[in-house]
Amino acid sequence: MLSLSNVDSFYGRSQALHDMTVAAPEGAILGILGRNGVGKTTLLRTILGLTDRSEGQITLGDKPIARLATHERARAGIAYVPQGRMIIPDFSIRENILMGGFAAGGTRRIPDIVPELFPYLIENLDRPGGVLSGGQQQQLAIARALACKPRVLLMDEPTEGIQPNIVAQIEDIIIRLNSEFGLTILLVEQNVHFVRRAAKAFAMIEHGTAVESGAIETLTDEMVNKHMAI
Amino acid sequence: MTETLFIGLSLSSILLLIALGLSITYGAMGVINMAHGELVMIGAYTGVLSGIYLNLNLLFALPLAFMVSALLGLALERLVIRRLYGRIIDTLLATWGVAIVLQQLIRLEFGLSFFGIHVDGLGPGLQSMDVPSFLTQPFEIAGVPIQTYRSFIILVTLLLTLLTWFLMYRTSMGVQVRAIMRNPQIAAACGIDVRRVSAFTFAYGSGLAGVAGVLLAGFKTVMPEMGASTVVDGFLVVVVGGVGSLLGTVLASAMLGQINGVFAILTNDILARAIVFGVVIAIILWRPRGLFSFRSR
Repeated sequence: MLSLSNVDSFYGRSQALHDMTVAAPEGAILGILGRNGVGKTTLLRTILGLTDRSEGQITLGDKPIARLATHERARAGIAYVPQGRMIIPDFSIRENILMGGFAAGGTRRIPDIVPELFPYLIENLDRPGGVLSGGQQQQLAIARALACKPRVLLMDEPTEGIQPNIVAQIEDIIIRLNSEFGLTILLVEQNVHFVRRAAKAFAMIEHGTAVESGAIETLTDEMVNKHMAI
Repeated sequence: MTETLFIGLSLSSILLLIALGLSITYGAMGVINMAHGELVMIGAYTGVLSGIYLNLNLLFALPLAFMVSALLGLALERLVIRRLYGRIIDTLLATWGVAIVLQQLIRLEFGLSFFGIHVDGLGPGLQSMDVPSFLTQPFEIAGVPIQTYRSFIILVTLLLTLLTWFLMYRTSMGVQVRAIMRNPQIAAACGIDVRRVSAFTFAYGSGLAGVAGVLLAGFKTVMPEMGASTVVDGFLVVVVGGVGSLLGTVLASAMLGQINGVFAILTNDILARAIVFGVVIAIILWRPRGLFSFRSR
């Protein structure tokens, strides 16, 4: 579905990804694991064209997208739930969600999936996004990504910084997005337990490259200890 | 006193038109456009020259100047600024260079000698443009004489401010512009074509500068250097109002324009200018991001 082949990525002169090769199977969750600072976020940003420069092949389905601008990649079907949510605080909830609509032909209609998953947001469409709690803002960031009508969802630590009782809800929503709605998801996570529960495949990142990958059943505790223990 | 406040309001109005363009372009694109004042000047020349060569009066010169300055702004964005996004000092220097080139081109092509006019002591400028007679007859409200042209300036500014508000807060393009102001990368990741929207924004802000130029040309001598001082005042408004804030820009231009106008009459121009700078410094110390700012970039 989405694959990177021998991708290098740069911030200025600093190379952040080295010869990265990973593939997310269609309709599956690919868990991206690794310590802080190894290049997991850069991997997602490279897929969207948000680093300064990248080389190598990135394909969505059969379509090469490495030369496309960021907005063209979004319109091709890649949506992004960034680390820290990055909703726009002074935009209303409605405006935040509809921002995603520009990737789906500029539609001004909130997709049906959003009220189904996030009824609170729909009941408070005119409130500013900035007044929401961390968990609600995460819901809003996911709703904005869903408004893009994506084929692939890039999620960067979606449970980070959220109160524990909300984390389980967010996790369940991610699993539903994949199992019920068939979305392919690249999930950057530090929570190995959740990745094991949700993902079908994994890639372990270290020093900007994928050092281990495969079916989730092949992710061993030894790998986790070797590549994720501090 | 009422008349003084009215003159201050009309000066504030022109200041607002200049600052609106600056605020939008800096807010959306992070570009400090030092050539913005020259777009004001180009608008003023468009007004004067359209009167001379096309026999257009001021009412027709306004949309024409908007289009000329907007197209010039678009060309500036496409040819220069687009290549320098994210490099604030480089854009500042490049647009400063463009400002100098535009000034000199105008001086070469449209100095007074071009028209065979030589007036001792006037310098290389043109007289202010002709204002239609119906805008030159003063009228009275409650015994206070009001200059019609000053009222016209306020009316045009009011209409353009409302148009800007409508574009920014009631249209799809406005949502895109505001999204880019807040977070250009997330805007792009949501499918917004940041470059296309930025080009539109730059052209619109430039067009507003052109309109300000025509309005200025109605009571000021038009000359190549006229834009340089206006851009400084425009930046003061942007800094005080808060980058990208429509409400902040409106209030800051009203406040600074009035302070300048009132103190210029009570004391003199130089002291009034000093007081304006004093107020700006005090506000920056009190609220470094301006009176109405949002978190951005």
